[in-house]
Amino acid sequence: MSVISTKLRLVINNLSKINLRAKQIIRHGGYYSSEYLEDLGKVSTKFEVTKDPVDWKCVENILPRKTIPEPVKKDEYPSGWQPQADDMQSRPYYIERTRNHLIPVYLDLAQHNIRRHTIIRRVKGDIWLLEKEVTEFLQTLSNKPIRLQVNEFAGFIRINGDFVNAIKYWLKNKGY
Amino acid sequence: MSKSADKALNLLRSLPRLCLGNIRDNPGSRSSRKRGRGQHGGDKHGAGNKGSGQRQNYMRLGYETGNNPFYLRFPNEPYYKGHHLKRQYPPMSMLDLQRLIDLNRLDMSKPIDLVAILNTGVFKLKPDQHQFGVNLTDEGADIFKAKINLEVQWASELVIAAVEKAGGVITTAYYDQHSLQAMLNTRKFFERGIPIPRRMTPPADAIEYYTDPTKRGYLADPEKISEERLVLAQKYGYTLPKIEEDKTYEMLTQRKDPRQIFFGLNPGWVVNLRNKVILKPQEEKLVEFYQS
Repeated sequence: MSVISTKLRLVINNLSKINLRAKQIIRHGGYYSSEYLEDLGKVSTKFEVTKDPVDWKCVENILPRKTIPEPVKKDEYPSGWQPQADDMQSRPYYIERTRNHLIPVYLDLAQHNIRRHTIIRRVKGDIWLLEKEVTEFLQTLSNKPIRLQVNEFAGFIRINGDFVNAIKYWLKNKGY
Repeated sequence: MSKSADKALNLLRSLPRLCLGNIRDNPGSRSSRKRGRGQHGGDKHGAGNKGSGQRQNYMRLGYETGNNPFYLRFPNEPYYKGHHLKRQYPPMSMLDLQRLIDLNRLDMSKPIDLVAILNTGVFKLKPDQHQFGVNLTDEGADIFKAKINLEVQWASELVIAAVEKAGGVITTAYYDQHSLQAMLNTRKFFERGIPIPRRMTPPADAIEYYTDPTKRGYLADPEKISEERLVLAQKYGYTLPKIEEDKTYEMLTQRKDPRQIFFGLNPGWVVNLRNKVILKPQEEKLVEFYQS
């Protein structure tokens, strides 16, 4: 009994100490961030501090990269991805790739997935020429007249209907 | 005079005279004093009259307006028992994997494990929602051409065949939730200054999968795995590329210890990113704990 009572007293003492120091708010939310219930005294665990370059290489290998790497030129890309053509300077309009080096064509679903819009983003230059070419291309796929909206200021084209894969394929073949 | 003109004149004679009582304005000459609100003069805006359409409170999925709904008609469906506790493996297709390799996001010269896949930032994993790693699906298996040392958590037979046909090796490995938490963002984990956890052995219902050589489990006998590689090559009809004669043989045969979660780093080590040092425990108790 006496052992328990001394232990209890110790714990209560420690708690009161914590309360006195509680001006700075500490959130003991986790296993590692919580304080010990009892004071363990000075803990000395034997450990070794190493600076082995081989080990450090392993650490560097698993650290996430802070930026997205540039793609490397290869003879073939089995996934079907393709880098942009080199003659972009001389073209009347330009479609910038996303940061993941993909073509910025998206499907916009709304009204309980009834409204389907295809959006071509990041268009720079003569957006009206792109509109003309896109309508011409899509008209071969659809019986209905193509309805689309051009936002020259924001640089996107919004097309009624789901043509994402068709437009991606078409733009890829044109080198964008 | 024609007959029809006669008839018309007769009709006109019998009709009432034009007077104040039967005249009215030309259509559109007067406008109403009420101003209509909205595009079509204050109507229902295409939402219909009353109900879900107007209030946008569509009935919940499966609700049958007062009927005993289909999904509640059968009182017990035991095959769904414990579905909320089952391990989940979110999918990633082989096409996605090939694209990551094409785009230089994954390094083919090093073993590709879950850490490498998570480090690309394209694949998201939520261990707290019972997600235990990546399920490599067979979409794009026909175009897959990368010779890699791959480690995933779940793979079908076709996927295994596609990876091995391309000259690579594949392993399926289990990681517990604490290990996965450390793998999500290694930089964040090292900054916490806590030791690398030791990987737990798979739970009872997963041991069968991860010791199975046909699934290329990480706990399976390596000799049986090389036998199964041949069997699979014969089943799918391709000649198995000899990895023993390959230049990258050393990389292709790199495996983690069943207790290890990072290549080259042992459990129990603490990585200090600021001073670029690694602290290794020497206490016998700790060494024994992290090895067992």
